[in-house]
Amino acid sequence: MNIFLVIGMGAAVGFLSGIFGVGGGFLMTPLLIFAGVPPAVAVATQSNQITAASVSGVIAHWRRQGVDVKMGAVLIAGGAVGAFIGAEIFTLLRAQGQVDLMISLAYVVFLGLIGGLMFWESMRAIMRQRRGIVPPRKPRDERHKAWIHALPFKMRFRKSRLYISVLLPLVIGFFVGVLSAIMGVGGGFVMVPAMIYILNMPTNVVIGTSLLQIIFVTALTTIFHSVNTQTVDIFLAILLLPGAVIGAQLGVRIGLKLKAEQLRALLALMVLLVCAKMAVALMVEPPELYSVTDLEVMGEQH
Amino acid sequence: MTLGKAIARLLLLALMLVPALPARALVTDLSNKRIEIRYSFSGAELILFGAVGSTNIDVRQEDYDVVIVVRGPESAAVVRKKDRVGGIWVNTDNMRFPSAPGYYAVAATRPLKEIANPVAFASYGIGFHNLPLVADSGNGLMMPDPDFREALFRLRSGEGLYRQEVDEVAIIGQGLFRTNVHLPANVPVGEFIVETFIFQHGSMRSRNRIALTVDKEGFERAAYNFAHGYPFWYGITAVFVALAAGWLAGVLGRK
Repeated sequence: MNIFLVIGMGAAVGFLSGIFGVGGGFLMTPLLIFAGVPPAVAVATQSNQITAASVSGVIAHWRRQGVDVKMGAVLIAGGAVGAFIGAEIFTLLRAQGQVDLMISLAYVVFLGLIGGLMFWESMRAIMRQRRGIVPPRKPRDERHKAWIHALPFKMRFRKSRLYISVLLPLVIGFFVGVLSAIMGVGGGFVMVPAMIYILNMPTNVVIGTSLLQIIFVTALTTIFHSVNTQTVDIFLAILLLPGAVIGAQLGVRIGLKLKAEQLRALLALMVLLVCAKMAVALMVEPPELYSVTDLEVMGEQH
Repeated sequence: MTLGKAIARLLLLALMLVPALPARALVTDLSNKRIEIRYSFSGAELILFGAVGSTNIDVRQEDYDVVIVVRGPESAAVVRKKDRVGGIWVNTDNMRFPSAPGYYAVAATRPLKEIANPVAFASYGIGFHNLPLVADSGNGLMMPDPDFREALFRLRSGEGLYRQEVDEVAIIGQGLFRTNVHLPANVPVGEFIVETFIFQHGSMRSRNRIALTVDKEGFERAAYNFAHGYPFWYGITAVFVALAAGWLAGVLGRK
């Protein structure tokens, strides 16, 4: 692959993730696939690149006390199991030649869902703002639903000022771990809303804690994929990094000048666009119905 | 490629200096017998030279044809076929070839059908369609479905891995010929066999084979062996490299 193309893709996605304040894994993996990287390699390598991309973020949040380590540990425990199971599913489907299909389907479903919700929500916010209505914000206790308090195995999370069932963060972590392994994403786009709306964590610890979980889970995913399918390409992951870092710095500056609702609407449109492109690729009859896979490359001999 | 050209010239000179060879003796040589793959490897082009000797009666005046077959290492490959299932295209059918050549090229002085009849080529296994390819049905070997066999040929031809009658063998002097061997960037590593056949009046007169090695070298080889031989430690390394690179990028990025 062309080195400059790889660095350029890193920069483009880094720029977007800087503007929108998102991890970018869910944009980078499809982009790598569109550029001709085998989907399985794109997913596994992207896990490795997300580990790298999340380090500086966690350090920054750690310094300003924005990491709930206890909550992070529970999320990681769930994520480790999820990543393991995700990687096993990945390996199984790869042996049957269905892993590319699964990756595409997972992307279409998730990008469609998240993009659709985000678009709807941001449009509503823009409309409201035009009409000048400010929705009254419910108090924190009221937003916290009753069924959540009814769950067993309660645990105290001091930093998040929460006393909730440990099952909730475990399940969320597990779910994000599975996504990380089969989609090559950090899972922030699922975890952050879940932490805010389901766990009801205070926003100042949400990003730092989710990044902590992402580092550990993507690191585990990288190891699982290396062992199972040898699909991690260290060079590709490292080449994506410098562009991503520089692009993100520029993106953040541009992002500060735009309004939050407009940003979210733009991001939603972009997510829907990627989703549509992947959906079309699944539905249109491919020009070549056959494909060939070299089994030795898949590590069958080992 | 100036170095390659210089070597080629030298080779040519050396071959021309070879005195009268024994009856229909055949000598061939490659401009490079060992190809090394690095991260920036974008394929290689080799030059194959050959000389045909003759008997006392000057056979050199008579026309002859050269067919050169280059065969790469064999490995297992799966050919899959997509079909429409509920509106989307899904791999539904597959066929496993336990020993498909990873590279296969046939070059000749003329179109094969003008050189000899198909039976002759079949008996020497020249041409993709004459390769003894079998498929693994899961409980024993069987003849592959022609559609899948054809697909394997078409797909690998598209990747530049199978080159049947794409390249020509040029006859330079009376007993001298040359051809270019193209190895694409995705060429498999391993031992290659370069086989040269001399045909005259539709029958095979002489054959000769030489070896060619394609290998991953240096850092590339180390990384490949590491990833496949010690996958757990490769994963651990990938994580630590990512952590270090991420930290470094963060430090540099803030400045």
